[in-house]
Amino acid sequence: MNFSLNEMEATAKRATRGAGYSWGQAEEASKAARWLCAQGMDGAGVLAGLLEQGLASDSAAHRPGQIDRLWLSERALCPLSAGPLLSDAAHLLKTGPVEMRNVAAPALLLPFACHAARLLKEVLTIEIDGAQMMTDGERLVAPDSLPDTVHKVVVTNGGALTTPRKQNARACPDPQDWCVLNRFAHRTYAPATEESRLLGAGSGLSDND
Amino acid sequence: MDTQAQTQIERRDPATVMRLSRLGSLHQCRLSFMRQLTRRMASENWSFTRPVFDIDTNGVGRAVYTAQGPDRAYSLVAFAHDLPPEQRSDRVIADAWDATFALFDGIPTGADIERLSQNVPLQEAGRVSESELSLSRANRSVRLWDHVVEALAAGHQPDVEQIYQVGYLMRTTAVYGSGKFGAADREKVADRSETQAPFQVEMLSVFLTRTFVRDLVQHMANVKGCGQAATLDPEIARWLGIGNSTGLGMAPFIVNHPVLFNNWIMVREEAIARVRSVEVASTTEISQFRDVFERSQLSMSWWRSEHPIQIGKLEELNADLHLIAEYLRHNDLRGSRPWNRVMSWSETKLSEEGQEFLASLILEPYGDLVDGLTSCMADSCTQAFVIDGTMLIGKVCDLIRETYAWALDLDWEARENCARAWYVSEEKLEPRMGERFDEPISDYEQPLAPARDAAAVYDALQGWDDTKPVAEFLLHHPEHRHTIRRIQMTTSAPYGEIRDNTIGSKVLPIDMLRAKLSFFGATHFDPRSDRWVRICMYSGAPYPEELTSENADLWVYPQEPT
Repeated sequence: MNFSLNEMEATAKRATRGAGYSWGQAEEASKAARWLCAQGMDGAGVLAGLLEQGLASDSAAHRPGQIDRLWLSERALCPLSAGPLLSDAAHLLKTGPVEMRNVAAPALLLPFACHAARLLKEVLTIEIDGAQMMTDGERLVAPDSLPDTVHKVVVTNGGALTTPRKQNARACPDPQDWCVLNRFAHRTYAPATEESRLLGAGSGLSDND
Repeated sequence: MDTQAQTQIERRDPATVMRLSRLGSLHQCRLSFMRQLTRRMASENWSFTRPVFDIDTNGVGRAVYTAQGPDRAYSLVAFAHDLPPEQRSDRVIADAWDATFALFDGIPTGADIERLSQNVPLQEAGRVSESELSLSRANRSVRLWDHVVEALAAGHQPDVEQIYQVGYLMRTTAVYGSGKFGAADREKVADRSETQAPFQVEMLSVFLTRTFVRDLVQHMANVKGCGQAATLDPEIARWLGIGNSTGLGMAPFIVNHPVLFNNWIMVREEAIARVRSVEVASTTEISQFRDVFERSQLSMSWWRSEHPIQIGKLEELNADLHLIAEYLRHNDLRGSRPWNRVMSWSETKLSEEGQEFLASLILEPYGDLVDGLTSCMADSCTQAFVIDGTMLIGKVCDLIRETYAWALDLDWEARENCARAWYVSEEKLEPRMGERFDEPISDYEQPLAPARDAAAVYDALQGWDDTKPVAEFLLHHPEHRHTIRRIQMTTSAPYGEIRDNTIGSKVLPIDMLRAKLSFFGATHFDPRSDRWVRICMYSGAPYPEELTSENADLWVYPQEPT
């Protein structure tokens, strides 16, 4: 079954929040998953895989300690911390590369590299364990899939878009991944009570008038 | 006169405009999405056809209505059902309706209609595709429906007083667009001239739905009348709009789309400022204004509500209408800046209902100054989502003080200031609002209290070096990212933030609903509770076959029937 990108985004946002991330990160993860799907990559699968790792339960261990050129974390670096930071600190790339080590779900860095490229109005090259990807803030050069975890990511200002990926208007998640996202999303829903049924939405009046 | 006084009147301060009580007093105006659509369809000479009308004697079947514009066609695919009365519910949790609809992008084939017949009647439980732009449903107003069918079947016209007071034969209980339930994303149509403005797809769907409902009621009267039925008088049919029943699901929309909402409000404020800046009103402009004022009073006289809040507001509005009439008897609107004078007068003499009614009304003679602004009402600025991590913490604090000063002094721990919480229910995945201290909902709270969250950021930033970039703060405090994003949006979207407490014990979600619905062009707001409102759409509008440039715009102001 295919889904609208809006459905992909809405589900990804709830899922990310349900997995314990902040609302701001959930917003960013959902736009990131949507963007990957629009690039014809498996945004749902990448996000589902990350959420199942449960990094949000100890988020401080999965983010860089400070903003410099080498981003290290105690345990696997979470792309929902490193990605937003890459966009927030895009100006660093004007004067040199940024390097990250031991990164989970590195495909999720690409949408944030895209933000950074747009902010800098430059093409950025993202080298993931030696494989090079490029974005100019709109389009992306990347393989269909990336490893679940990588040793080293280097983001550099500069590069050329050779054969950008074709844009997609729909998301085609693997049903299992879609289930995983919905399972996490479900954690954000308050169990219904009779009180909420009557009061929460507005009224228990009949419409027969 | 001081000939130097050519400076433009400024737009009103967001601190005034963005209060919930004022947003809950907004009225339709010539920027409204329904009127944008009817003006465009008339000026572009759209044509309308009904290629399918296959409804049986029980009122069950399907119909297709196609609207053909200069470049593209759009088709309403309608399914009529025989709904037992006990299943008729306004609520989003209903699972059966009198009629269900999809707006198809183009002209559907027989196979498309067949596919839709398997899904559209199920609404949320079905799936549509990227060929569909919206999904909706409607229920009859049983009283008026039965009256109109019986009257026509008996060979005479229905009682117009009943039509004025109810206003519609069917009311929609949801119109889903933008990729919901598999439909096409907004991006598919965002670059088309006819759907660039917000909600044009949904407004077209409702416009065609109204025609279907008129045809269906005639069909049922013909069946019942066995050849003796009267044809509904077009003059009477015109006063039949489409009702809409809207609950809390819509309220978070204006919080969740701050740039879009800003664009609506800012465009209206710009339009008001432009008209206030008009140096001298021409005779024609003055007479146009007086004419729509007279006509609007008739519409107001049909506005009924049983809700105590709205009853009070209507009393105030009616008193305001008398005051405006009196003002117009003593002021000929000649002289310098007449619209600025009447607006300044209204600020000291009228209720917020009256002020906003008048603000909408002064735009009417000035299509040339106002209508071009409609192209600025969509949100195409995706970059606003991206946080500027280089912004200095001192600047973030300045922005918080500019937009949320009122919230910084509030005790957010006090029960009355955080009595409510917004959440999504497991049952229907719809937004709801509950009592934080009485219900187990706070663990599920949605981020719909931006002012409280801004105050929390402000507290958290105390002790941070003002000269550091906010990226450093965000690295250690991801829980504040959504709020920093909003705070930064206020630089380009000054009208994007409600300047009131959205979780206080006194919050009225109907104010948020009305703000949004007024931009649709809705009239006759009739709250059924503090979080649920009925409205009327397209009452007075021409039907597709009647649409001309002469009647495409001011239909919202009724003329006394002859």
